[in-house]
Amino acid sequence: MSTEIKSTELKTDEMIINMGPQHPATHGVLRMLLTLDGEFVKHAEPVIGHLHRAQEWQGQNRTWFQYQALIDRVDYLSGMFTSWAMARSCEVLDECEVPERAEYLRVMVSEMNRISSHLLWLGTYLIDLGAMFGFPFYPFREREKLLDLFEEIAGQRMMFNYIRIGGVQRAPNDAWLKRLKAFTEEFEDRVDEYEAIVTENPIFLKRTKEIGILPLSLAKQYGVTGPSIRASGTDMDLRKTKPYSVYPKLEFDVHWLDKPEGGDTWDRYILRIREMRESNKIIKQCLDMLPTEGELSGKKQNAGLRVKAGEAFSSVESPRGILGCYVISDGKDKAIRFRWRNPSFCNLSVLSELLVGSPIADIMAIFGSVDVILPDVDR
Amino acid sequence: MAEEKEKSIEKIVEAPPEIGRFGQFLKEHGIASEKLPDAAGGIEVISLDAKNLQSALKILRSSEETKLDLLITVSGVDSRQSGGTFDSVYHLWSYDNLNELVIKVKIKADEVEEDSLPAVPSITNMWPAANWHERETYDLVGIKYLGHPYPRRILNPWDWDGHPLRHDYVQIVDALNDKNPHSFR
Repeated sequence: MSTEIKSTELKTDEMIINMGPQHPATHGVLRMLLTLDGEFVKHAEPVIGHLHRAQEWQGQNRTWFQYQALIDRVDYLSGMFTSWAMARSCEVLDECEVPERAEYLRVMVSEMNRISSHLLWLGTYLIDLGAMFGFPFYPFREREKLLDLFEEIAGQRMMFNYIRIGGVQRAPNDAWLKRLKAFTEEFEDRVDEYEAIVTENPIFLKRTKEIGILPLSLAKQYGVTGPSIRASGTDMDLRKTKPYSVYPKLEFDVHWLDKPEGGDTWDRYILRIREMRESNKIIKQCLDMLPTEGELSGKKQNAGLRVKAGEAFSSVESPRGILGCYVISDGKDKAIRFRWRNPSFCNLSVLSELLVGSPIADIMAIFGSVDVILPDVDR
Repeated sequence: MAEEKEKSIEKIVEAPPEIGRFGQFLKEHGIASEKLPDAAGGIEVISLDAKNLQSALKILRSSEETKLDLLITVSGVDSRQSGGTFDSVYHLWSYDNLNELVIKVKIKADEVEEDSLPAVPSITNMWPAANWHERETYDLVGIKYLGHPYPRRILNPWDWDGHPLRHDYVQIVDALNDKNPHSFR
């Protein structure tokens, strides 16, 4: 038997490595099962479920009133949107009118929430890329102001339970509105500040350009929505395409990039920055247009809250994409079925395709740019 | 008694054989569907036979007229109490237009053999988006998707017993109040 070596190339085996669930950059508990060929990913499988809290089970075992207090824990960075999706489903089922004042307040707090969610994303994304010192405090400075405003109007900094079935919980006072106005006036300059530090930063460009390219056709197959798909060449934003609430009365642009061959991680970054500016514009208009007097809720808020029998699916444009709520009711104290369409869940499923071929060092840059939040994935 | 009978006959005669826009579209392509009551907001809901699901979705997705190319969710509903069926529900939207459609595949519960799960063909081969949704529906509601590339639980641990979103589900091990020192949970 000959034992001569036929090739001079060194043969290396593929290696299977777990990334997470305790990896600090996964912002929650995501486990990624990576098959590596040296430095490069050959196959990636996200393993989810570590944060599963049976939210859908709670939906069919809690009364309507209990469940609406629980549900903004699903995506704790943008709780307003989860409450809003549930409220809209129940309202369309119940044929309940929402007062105009409540609608303006909803849009206002939701856009504030969109900004605060994007700000947290911006800060942590830069940490993931290695900008440990200094920068993350810039977006967190503004986020803190927003959380203070939330605390005052909803009583909580994160799990608001502010948007209720039929309306909103309470009205802001004049001092609050004044503080919010002051915030909106300085916020534009603050975004300029972030951009001056990050957007054209050579290190940032090196870490984010030309990686994690998401072609439009692939994104459509996986049902990707939100800023991630708007960076890849479609203008789908529910606030414009299927307008709801008072959005048709407000002037704002939907930013998107005409790149059907695929947007990279930098494109997804710049889109979120532009979105924050638009949200700021929306809040400014709401402050001017908000009726000073009027009803806050079209439905009595007490434990006897009921929703008429039938089924409905409603959705809102959350910071991460289309957030939908499918509800089936038989008119009794509990729902038959609550089903959530969470944008993070759908956006995360495309990750196994995005990571293939990229080095380990890029994994967190790509994962972070999709802006997935794990409690939203696992419910 | 006779009057009542007459009334019921009248009702049947009165109700026209309704068919919605998408139901008509499918009929033109030789696929039978049944119209169900609209969802709130006037969204069309149709019911399809399991065997027609794949061909119907293929046409609805690719035709220029409908272009339902965004699979919003696949959900499972245990409606044994109201209709005696397990439903696999597909919410379809479009990236380019405002079309919306809800498709239900109903599997009669009494036709499902004991110790086996209701089965529906998987659409993961044509829609990668369905992969995780179908796994979740299998995990939580216990509907089997035939032809799924990786039919395992996704949110619960792989050794979990039962399907929590069924209305007759009882948790076998009570994680909070389990006093057995040998229990690993």
